[in-house]
Parts: sequence; structure tokens; C-alpha cells
Amino acid sequence: MRKTLAVASKELRQILRDQRSLLILLFVPAFFLLLYGYALNFDIRNVTLAVQDKDRSTKSRELVSSFVNSGYFSLVGYVDAPAELDRLVDLGRVRSILSIPAGFERDLSMRKPVTVQVIIDGDNANTASTVSGYARTLINEFSGAQMQLTSPGPASRPPVPVISVEPRIWYNPQLRSTLFLVPGLIAYISMITAVVSTALSVVREKERGTMEQVRMAPLSPLPYIIGKTMPYLVISFVSAILVILSAMLLFDLPMRGSWLLLCGAIGLFLIGAQAQGLLISTIAETQQVAFQVALLSSLLPTMILSGFIFPISSMPIVVQWITHIVPARYFLVALRSIVLKGADITAFWQEMVALAIFATVALGLASLRLSREWA
Amino acid sequence: MSDLPLRAAKSAASEPGLAIDVRGLTRHFGAFVAVDDLSFSVKQGEIFGFLGANGAGKSTTIRMLCGLLKPTSGTALVGGIDVSRDPEGVKRTIGYMSQKFSLYEALTVDQNIEFFGGIYGLSRDRFVERRKFVREMAGLQGREDTLTRDLPGGWRQRLALGCAILHEPRIVFLDEPTGGVDPLSRRRFWDLIGDLSRQGVTVLVTTHYLDEAEHCHRIAIIQAGKLAALGTATELKQVFSSRPIVEIHASQPVQAMSVLDKNPNVEKTSLFGTSVHAVLKDASLDPSVLAQALRAEGIEVSSIGAVMPSLEDVFLDVVERVGAA
Amino acid sequence: MKRVLHLMKKELLELRQDPRLFSIVILAPIIQLSVLGYAATTDVKDIPLAIVDADRSTASRQLVHRFEGSANFKIVAMPGSTSDIDSYLDSGKAWMVLSIPPDYGRKVGAGRPTTIQLVADGTDSNSTGVALGYAQALIGGYVQDLAAAAAPGQPVTGLVQPEIQVWFNPRLESRDFMIPGIVALLLLVITTNLSAMAIVREKETGTLEQLNVTPLARWELITGKLLPYAFIGIIDVVLVLIVAIYWFEVPMRGSIPLLFGMCLIYLLATLGLGLFVSTISQTQQQAMMTSIFFFLTPMIYLSGFIFPIENMPRWIQPFTYLIPLRYFLVIVRGIFQKGIGLEILWPQAVALFAWGLGMLTLATLRSSKRLG
Repeated sequence: MRKTLAVASKELRQILRDQRSLLILLFVPAFFLLLYGYALNFDIRNVTLAVQDKDRSTKSRELVSSFVNSGYFSLVGYVDAPAELDRLVDLGRVRSILSIPAGFERDLSMRKPVTVQVIIDGDNANTASTVSGYARTLINEFSGAQMQLTSPGPASRPPVPVISVEPRIWYNPQLRSTLFLVPGLIAYISMITAVVSTALSVVREKERGTMEQVRMAPLSPLPYIIGKTMPYLVISFVSAILVILSAMLLFDLPMRGSWLLLCGAIGLFLIGAQAQGLLISTIAETQQVAFQVALLSSLLPTMILSGFIFPISSMPIVVQWITHIVPARYFLVALRSIVLKGADITAFWQEMVALAIFATVALGLASLRLSREWA
Repeated sequence: MSDLPLRAAKSAASEPGLAIDVRGLTRHFGAFVAVDDLSFSVKQGEIFGFLGANGAGKSTTIRMLCGLLKPTSGTALVGGIDVSRDPEGVKRTIGYMSQKFSLYEALTVDQNIEFFGGIYGLSRDRFVERRKFVREMAGLQGREDTLTRDLPGGWRQRLALGCAILHEPRIVFLDEPTGGVDPLSRRRFWDLIGDLSRQGVTVLVTTHYLDEAEHCHRIAIIQAGKLAALGTATELKQVFSSRPIVEIHASQPVQAMSVLDKNPNVEKTSLFGTSVHAVLKDASLDPSVLAQALRAEGIEVSSIGAVMPSLEDVFLDVVERVGAA
Repeated sequence: MKRVLHLMKKELLELRQDPRLFSIVILAPIIQLSVLGYAATTDVKDIPLAIVDADRSTASRQLVHRFEGSANFKIVAMPGSTSDIDSYLDSGKAWMVLSIPPDYGRKVGAGRPTTIQLVADGTDSNSTGVALGYAQALIGGYVQDLAAAAAPGQPVTGLVQPEIQVWFNPRLESRDFMIPGIVALLLLVITTNLSAMAIVREKETGTLEQLNVTPLARWELITGKLLPYAFIGIIDVVLVLIVAIYWFEVPMRGSIPLLFGMCLIYLLATLGLGLFVSTISQTQQQAMMTSIFFFLTPMIYLSGFIFPIENMPRWIQPFTYLIPLRYFLVIVRGIFQKGIGLEILWPQAVALFAWGLGMLTLATLRSSKRLG
């Protein structure tokens, strides 16, 4: 125990000497949460729209108005030539086109069904499907209003079922994507910070040759590893709390659950993340390799495989299996449960166990690896 | 990129035959003065030693002379080229070996030689010739394909020297070249330096091994960034011409020192290994007087006699005097 | 020039001593692209759904049947009453709960309005929005079928019909959009890291000082450091393009040689960035943190890779012009999905090239051979 503290205090002293790195680790994460939380969202507004209005009637202008007034679309201009439309979409100036055929108003007044074309730039499939949903809804509403106006009378109407859907959204009633993204950002930033701080720690000593001296001491691998992690754990923990507090302050991130559970989840997660960095550090021979592996195992996987942005249930089964070794996945579930759902531990105890297993395995492998080297 | 040294960089006042001419060289790091108004000169073919404790300013001086660090003030002409104005010109004419023997650990002996040969632009024929020379000089025949990180200290050191002189520079700077190397290798290394000097190459060496400094033609002692003493080994030892040094082997050296310190005949004492060196105030004193004084205090004296002052004595004396000034 | 060749040879020799690095930079992109390419899908499938059918009539069972048959939904439970739904949503076992009221069948048969309740977990606002859309479309379709059955021949489908066409990606396959982005990202992450360590490593071991004493010029140092990693980068480009085009079969509507050429310009930018980071860091740890925190992460988030730039606050958008990845994303997505060529993409290409050149210049200026 005392040896562990000795290693820890030496490491701490080294950290304190590298003030630039320390400041980065403590404050940059919170700053980035501020930046990204503010900059990023999925809500789709102001979709650029070009209108090809071949009718130019009062009715067609009404339809266009309904699009513009919805707030979803932002009118770029009226365009007639198809070639020009092509060019605008190719250049990316316009993401959607509303094409109203000639005779629109006339057909409507005669109660003849008429077709209106909406063309959507599908390169971003995500936004495309939402935008087509908006367009569809707007047109349906317009259509419904027209039907009311030209209705022939109650007698001629057969008993058509009218089923309406009342959606209710829990935890995030306005579907603010910020509330969805911010926990993910927290997980991402914490993960990166934790891995980065430990990934080079052991391998640096290997490269410089100072490892030799450590081996001379009667110190077994496990206390050494724990000692090395402890200062970084404290720093990462403080940093994570700063990040969460910033999120609550600046983005109205609610806190509906227990702080104790939250700290517990953060702690487990960070231990696992740092253990991952340490494991990398014990396996790599040069700092270059350690850096490369740390990057590849944390940067993109945490972003894409953790359920941060892309729902895991939509991924192919094989990939879903792979996500089981991404600790951010579990943390995200726990975090969202505590913060947004206010759930107690019964809702996510499995995730906590998984985090604990991850941390234990990673630490174990790291000390195993180190003891083999020291032997 | 011109290969000709700038005309303007040559000072009109430089003496011919001087390889290195330093005047008032100064370097500040913020408020800290690392090198303070240093002036000295080195003749072509000399082995010039820079002696000083760690942090005295030796490495800083060498870096300035090599064009690695810009002087705060003062001038230095290396091979006739002004260091401040044409550092690149200086680099073409010198060789440099750093404290850390900067070689590429991951490369083999031959690969390192080839790399530096290429950087210095040696023609194919000349390169082959020089590579042979370096291999022989360093004793690396048969080890051409050994990884540099697997070389023992002495070989590494000689390889580093070889790589530094591949391009046959007329002036060579060696910064603590014998650190961490066994005595035999150190001896061999100094033989090589002697060879270089005989071929007319100027060698400026920094070291804190005082016994090595005896191999130098002239020595400069640097203390706290200032030039504390300059001269040949013999000239420096003249410092003690009027004050002989007596070496005493006693059973309790530390007590012996404190006894002798109180003795009116002794100027100062210092510990040399297990023996005590005492500097006498008067050359005419009979050393046995001191032995008696010691025995009177119950300290056994196994031998006592005058010795030639060593550079270590000189160094300590100079350092003390500069410190007191 | 010959000095540059010597430097390159030394660099490659040094890299060869740790063969694991080679396998990492060659294998990793392939593996990562494969896994991430499959993972990065915004398509919403198999949404876990719980249904509370308080009616249990023929009509309600018909509705339930619709949901059962839909590929978008996976029915995970049919709880008996609405009091149970809390636990499903809290634990995440179900994302949505469909609640059919007890008088549903009666009201439908009588042609009287009735309301179905959909409770959704809003934490994943993105997917929830899409999921709600699916549910509403499904119910809407069901309603139309009912109406058609009740009154055949009547124009029940509404006076104004929307016909929605999606260009470039009619299958709405999000993968086709994501994978070119991942290709760009992988190249950035790997090559920037390689070059970021290049100069700083020599600073740590002391060999940089030795190089500074030789006649090696700064531009020769930078070029000599750049080229070996450029070769590795090119190999990576070829590999990931092969995986993207032949394995994932992302439709390639544009010119492959043009894409390759653009990748080379991109490499100039990424390697230049790495070298610059190398010149401003004293240790490899600093290089790592600087490149991850101050360059890679902002680039990933603010370049338009996943989060559309149009959605960002007005005052942030101009800053995104500083990000090389932004331009390359436009280029790579444009070539893949829209098949456009240099006549449209030239501004991005020029911007990318200028960025790379600028970085390399900065790196050269910063790697002084003499300390002030």
C-alpha cells in the first residue's frame, strides 16, 4: 500500500511539473463541452428550398407560404429551368425542391387530385428522411385544409375512420437533441481524456530507460499500475465533474437522479478508461505505437460504437457484439438513466457490472503484461 | 542556398592561425546569466579543454560556438566565420559530438555512418574511404550490422565521434564525450583525439573529469559562466608554486582534516579519496611538523609527503577563489 | 535533394525497427473502416416497442398485426396495463409504448374519432423523431387502407398528393453517406499521428540537436519527414478506397482518379498538420494531447462529418472554414454520391491545398536550427 502511494506521489509530482498538460487535462474538456454542446445539434431547420412554380397562382403561393412559415424550410428562390435546379443541388446551395405543376389551382377547385413533387438531396440520409417527413406532413395538412374548403357536404361522406395519434415524449419532451447529445459528449470527452493521460505513462519510461530503475525496487506490477493511475484518476474525475456541471449550467441538463450513483458511475467508467490506456502503455514498445493504438481504440470507436449518435440496436449483430467492449456504451446508458430518466440502480445495474468487469480485466491484463516483462 | 561563407562575416581583426576566437561572449536566459563575457582563443591544431562543474556554462558556450544557440552579445569566430551572422556556414566546417552521443538507436552502425555521410554530402569514393576509417578507428569491424542500441558504451562513443568527423572538419567540438564510459575506452578515446590534433584538427572538449584535462594543450576553467583561469596544465599548477601541497594518509581522514584546519601552517585542506591534501602557507615548512600535530591528537599517520599539485587541486582552488570574489 | 533521400531512408529504417507500427497503420484502417462502416448507420430499425392493447378487439389486433409485420419495429412485450410501462421505458427495454384504448374497436366501427397514444423515450431525440415518423406513417397507411375498404372508389387519399423523390440516395442508405466520411476521418487520424511524433521524437532523444548542427536545411528536414509518411498514407488511401468501393459497394458515381488525386492533396494537409504539431511540442505526450484535443476532436465534430454545419450557430460557422476536413468531406461525398468533378470542386481543392502548404510552411518556420 505504501509502495503504491510512493509511485502515485512521484507520478503526481511529475504531472505537476508539466503544467501545460495539467491545465489541458483539467479545463479543456469543460471548455470543449461548451463549444460542442452549443455547436452541435440534429434539429433540422432552415432547409434550403428552391421552388419551381409552374402555376403561379394564389393557391400555389399559399402552398409555398405554408412551407416557408413552418420554420423548417428557408426559401432560396424561385427557379424554372431544370438544369438550373440540377446545378443548385450539385453545388449544395439547395437541399430541397418543391415543384408545383401547372393547373394546380384549377384542379383543386374542381376537386381533382393533383400531385406535387418534392425533391430532396439525399446525401445525408438522416436529414433526408426527416425532411421528407416534414414535407409530407405539410402537404397533408394543406391537403386536409383544401378538402375542408371544398367539401361537398356531410351527406355524401361515408363513415371514414378518423384515427389520430397522440404522441407523448418522456424525459425530453421537446426532443431537444442537445439533451441527447450532451451526455454522449460527456462520455466521449471523459473517455478521451482518461485514455490520453495514461497511454503514454508506462511506455515513456520504457523508451527512456528509467523503467530499469523501477524494476530494481521490490515492487510488484499491480501496486505500480495502481499507483500510476491514481493521480490521473483524480484529475479525470475532477475534469468530468466540471464538464457535467458546465452542462447543467449552460445547457439545462437536468439532474433527475442521485448524485451518489452518478459519481459511482463516473468513477467506474474512468477507472476502466484509464486501465485501457495503461494496458496500451504496457503493450507498446514505443510512444508512437502507443499513441496510434490509443487513438484508434478510443477516438472513433467511442464516437461511433457507443450509442452516442448511432443507435446500437440498428447495427448489424456482429457489430453489436463488438460494442460490448466499448466502455462508453455502458456509461452512456447509466448516465442517461440517472440524469435524464431519474432512474435508480435497478434500471442499469447490468451496465455498472459490465463497467466493473471491464476495469478489472483491463487492470489485470496490464499488470500481467508488466509482470511478464519484469520477469 | 550559398555555399560560400559571407564575406562580411569575417572580422578584419581575426588573427591568422586562430581556429576559434571568442570575445566577450555572453548568453542570458531571462534573468539568468549562463555565460558571462567570455573571451579566449584557440590555435589551429590545439586540444583545448573546457573545465567546469555541471551548470558552469560549458555546454551553453559550445552550443553558441556551433551555431545552435544565438549569443546575447559578444562575438565568436569559428574557422574565421562569425557565429552570430552565419551559423550555417559554421556548421559546414565543424564537427560536433553531443553529450548524449546522438546516434539513431534503431539503426545499425553502418546505417548511421551512411546517414551522416549522406547528410554531409560525401561523394561515393570519399564516403567509402571515410567509412573504412571510422570503422577502424572505432574498432567496429565485424559489427557493421549491429544495432546501435545494442552497442556497449565505449563503441557507441567512438562511433559518435566517427560520425562527427566523417566530413573531415578542421574544428571539432566534443561536449562531455566520455560520460559513463569505462576507463579503458576513455583512454582509447583520448588517443584518438591526440591523433586528430596531430593531423592539425582543432579540438575543443568540455569535461568535468579533471584527469582527462591533463591531455589538453591548454585548459580554460569556467565557473558560473565566467572564465576563471586559462593556461597550460603546468601554468595552471603554478598557482601553487609558492604553496606546496602535502598528501597525508591518516587513519581518520575526516578528523585529520579538522585538526589540520586549525593548524596555523595550513592554508586549507581537502579530501582526496581516502587521503587528505593540505595546502601549506609556507614552502619551507617540514611536513613532519604536521604529522606530529596529528599524532598528538591520537590520529595515526601512515604516510606524509609533498606531492605535485593535480588539476583537481587547481580546480578547487580556482573555484573557491572565484566564488569568494 | 540527396540529403532528403538520406533522411527518408533513415526515417523508414527507424520505423521498420518497430514492425508493429506498420501492421497497425496498414491493418487498422481496414478493420476500423469495416466495423465503423457497419456501425455508422442512422437508419432506425428494430425499434423496441411495447404494446398495451386494452381493447383486444378484431380491429385492435389488426393494428397490432401491422406493427408486428413492420421491419422497423420489434415488439418486445405486450403488458397488460399502462401502469407497467414505466419500467420498460426507464430500463430502456422499450423505446416506445403503443397504447390502444379500450373502446377503440367500437369507435372505429362507428366511424367516430378515436385516439391512440404513443409514449416515446425522448433521450435519443434523433432516433425517436424518426421512430415517431415511422409509427405515424404506419398508422396513417392503416387508416387509408381502412378508408379504402369502407368506401371504394372515393378519393380518400387527399386532394394533394406528395410525391417525394430523394436524389443521390434513393434507398436512403445512410451508409453511403457515412462511409466516405469515415474514410476521410480515418486518414486524418492515422496520418496526423504518424507525422506528429516524427520531429518531437528526435527532440526527446537528442538526435534533433545533432541534425541541427549539420548542413541539413529546414525545408529538407520537413520534406524528408513528410515523404515517408506520405507513402504510408498513400497505401492507406488505396486500402480504404478498396474497402469502401468493393466491400461496402458504396456507389461511386464520380471519377476514381480524381478522388485519388484529391486524397493526395488531403494527405498534404493532414501530414502538414501533424508536422506542425510536432514543431510546437516538446515531448511526445504534449504532441499527443495537442493533436487530439486541439485538432482532431474539433475537426471531427465541427467539420460536418455527422453534425450538419448549417445547424451550427451562425457565429461558429465561419470558423469551420479553417478545418481542412470540411473541404475534403464535400469533395469526397461529392465524388462518391453526386459524381461531380473538378469544375465544381475546385474551390475546395484549392482551399485544401492552401491549408496543407500553409501548415508545412509554418512547420518549416518553427523548426529553427538555432534557438533564439
